[in-house]
Amino acid sequence: MILCLLVQITRNRQGQPVRRESSIHGNAIQIGRGTNCKIRLLDHRVALHHATLALTQDGAIELRPEGDADVAINGVTVRDHAPLLPGDRVSIGPCLLVVDPSSVAPQILLTVEMKPEADEEKSSPPLTLAELKLSKRKIGFALAASILLLFMVLPMLPGFSADLDKWQSALPVTLNDAWSPGPLTGGHRVMGARCSVCHQQPFRAVPDEACTACHKQVGRHLADNELHRQLFKEVRCTECHVDHQGAKPTRDDSSRCVACHADIKAKNPKATVANVHDFSTDHPPFRITLQDGKDGRPLLRALQNQMPQEKPNLKYSHKVHLVAEGVSSPEGDTVMTCKDCHQVDPGGEHFVPMTMEKTCQQSGCHKLYFAEPVDIAVPHRSVPEAMNRLRKYYTQWLAETPANAAECKSMNSAANAAQQALDCAAELAQENAAESLFKEKIGCRECHEIEATDDKNEPWKVTPLKINQNWHANSVFPHIKHITTACTACHDKQGSNSSADISMPELAKCRECHVHDKPVRGKVSSTCDSCHRFHGEADVAK
Amino acid sequence: MKAFQPYGLLGYKQFRYLKLFALLVSLAIMSYLVLPVESGHYGGTWLGYVLGILSALIVLLLLWYGVTKRRTPRVRTRRMSRKKDRQSTSIKPIATLQGWLSSHVYLGASLIVLATLHSGFHFGLNVHTLSYVLMLIVIASGFYGTYVYLHVPQLITRNAGEESPDDLRLKIIELDERARLHALGLPDEINEIVYQARTSTHMGGSLWQQLRGYQRDCPTQSAVSRLLKLGPKYIMNEQPKLMRELYSVLLRKEKLVLRARQEIMLRARMQVWLYLHAPMAVALLAALTAHVVAILFFW
Repeated sequence: MILCLLVQITRNRQGQPVRRESSIHGNAIQIGRGTNCKIRLLDHRVALHHATLALTQDGAIELRPEGDADVAINGVTVRDHAPLLPGDRVSIGPCLLVVDPSSVAPQILLTVEMKPEADEEKSSPPLTLAELKLSKRKIGFALAASILLLFMVLPMLPGFSADLDKWQSALPVTLNDAWSPGPLTGGHRVMGARCSVCHQQPFRAVPDEACTACHKQVGRHLADNELHRQLFKEVRCTECHVDHQGAKPTRDDSSRCVACHADIKAKNPKATVANVHDFSTDHPPFRITLQDGKDGRPLLRALQNQMPQEKPNLKYSHKVHLVAEGVSSPEGDTVMTCKDCHQVDPGGEHFVPMTMEKTCQQSGCHKLYFAEPVDIAVPHRSVPEAMNRLRKYYTQWLAETPANAAECKSMNSAANAAQQALDCAAELAQENAAESLFKEKIGCRECHEIEATDDKNEPWKVTPLKINQNWHANSVFPHIKHITTACTACHDKQGSNSSADISMPELAKCRECHVHDKPVRGKVSSTCDSCHRFHGEADVAK
Repeated sequence: MKAFQPYGLLGYKQFRYLKLFALLVSLAIMSYLVLPVESGHYGGTWLGYVLGILSALIVLLLLWYGVTKRRTPRVRTRRMSRKKDRQSTSIKPIATLQGWLSSHVYLGASLIVLATLHSGFHFGLNVHTLSYVLMLIVIASGFYGTYVYLHVPQLITRNAGEESPDDLRLKIIELDERARLHALGLPDEINEIVYQARTSTHMGGSLWQQLRGYQRDCPTQSAVSRLLKLGPKYIMNEQPKLMRELYSVLLRKEKLVLRARQEIMLRARMQVWLYLHAPMAVALLAALTAHVVAILFFW
């Protein structure tokens, strides 16, 4: 019979060993976790009946694993059975059984120690966010430091060093990209990311000099330099030209214009323009520029609502040319439209000046023919040129046949034959011109006002034309932007018989489509800048 | 469940700060719609500057709440202030913490309107929009915080009563040990189930695990259902009794685990928004500083 003193060492929650002794005896001592085992090893890795201590015939004690239970003595796995000697260390699952060296079979002193389970040694997972040891402060400060570095310190550096500014402007992502509040206007994009071109000094507003360094040809608002300087000394370019707002380079409101022009006399007592607050309500009637005939300069600006008349010295009827059945021409009846004569110039604002050759004589119309003896046209230039052309023709004609020469009434044999031919040609030219070219209501007089003179070389004088090319000299009107609108929607003189009639639309016509700078449904918002230019001609500034 | 407490956080002093919010927002919107500005609205108009400066001051005031909260021991201050009121009326606190919090919520909400109108709806990839976005993140997380502040405490009380996750965990450990001991007398198959239930059942853990509040294929839940199926298989000797006891233990553990997870989830939700709200508020202060410096530097 085996007599076993069993010493079980367990650990309490504090990890301190707890010793418990018991005495067991029997011919066979079962080891396992099952309740029928005498040595109970309370772990699931130990089988219900794991091994047995048995007494051999020679009185020794041997250990017999049950089935394929895993048992090792001193690290050597026991296959079938093995003697248990004093000092042996038996491993069963997580338990270590130590045979005391003083043991003598059949008495044995066994010490059993449970190794702590690995998973029990693990620290428990965090149950609260606080146990995760995340520091709000650290995260916040790290973010703040990154933002200050990337978005404040780095963008600031190019402002202090021109070389750094130049270098960084070539980078794919520049240091001061993050500071740009919006895209630059098209022209300014050529400066790229070199902010210092305009922002020349840190914490200082963009100076006008930064603008005029490139925009050298900008004219003043007022022709009077002293008055301009006095009224605009506090006004900076950037007050009207705000960049980083996308494509538009100028403010699209009228408040700054109205600030002065609402009571313009208060700013400039000598001002001749009327007050205005709002295009839709109190814009003064248009004043159109008329030619007064002296040096071709526009000296008269007439209020359009007073029905001014023009004096272009041209006899012209829109009604005749725009007749619905068409006008008779060498190419047959031709229905004419406005653009047959009025063609928008490449600038899109005004029209290409009309000429006799390109405009009136197109399609073979209005040729200046001799009436007799043959159909030959004279050039539409000056009276002397027309007369020379006639004289040249008759000189040749007299020389062609004696019969022709006989037409010459003043032929005198005593005189120089050549001189006689020239004189005769001059007489014939004079007669023919009087009969055809410069006759009343036909030829040149059909369009021009002509007076007879005593000068044989220039027997008639054509009154010079004064065709107005710019009716609104102080404003702009881009015809090209209105190309989708019919000409007759604004110009209503297609039934006019006189070139003295002025066909410029009045203010009310513009207001049919255009309103002030505040959005109105179905209307085109327009600012002062839509028609008027703040800056005068460049030479005013120089 | 009451979704809205008439005189709690949101209704403090007869909705004093809601009225302030309505006033601020109405004034800002009216100004934006009615007052003339040159060349459209953006931060650089006079109205833009007014709205910007006002918004920045509100941001600073809201940040100051964070400082005040840390400086003010809640209960003590109230008691002290009451005591002081009784003793002397010469020193009065500027506001109670609840008053601060109520104004914090409404002023924060008003920033959505004020800052948006300040921007004139111009946004881009720059520090200015960064400030705006950070502000929106802070406000959105604050809204979530207000929501959980008003709703989650009731859920926590209903779920776990006075027990903390730690209390629940200790109970679960006890049940695990009891389950382990009950299983020792049962076959390996049962021991393996109990072992898995003991070692692989997770509660808490990482931020995501805490917020998620459940474990896919939870070993404890799985053990309960498997034990129920395996019950008829073990009918030898004491096995039915052990199985019944083991089942009972694991069933209790399952309930505790679910409650603990719910508790952890609710507490995590109560706190998690602050891990976004507070750092982003500090980041917002930095971005706002960069925004203002950028404006002044490139005047």
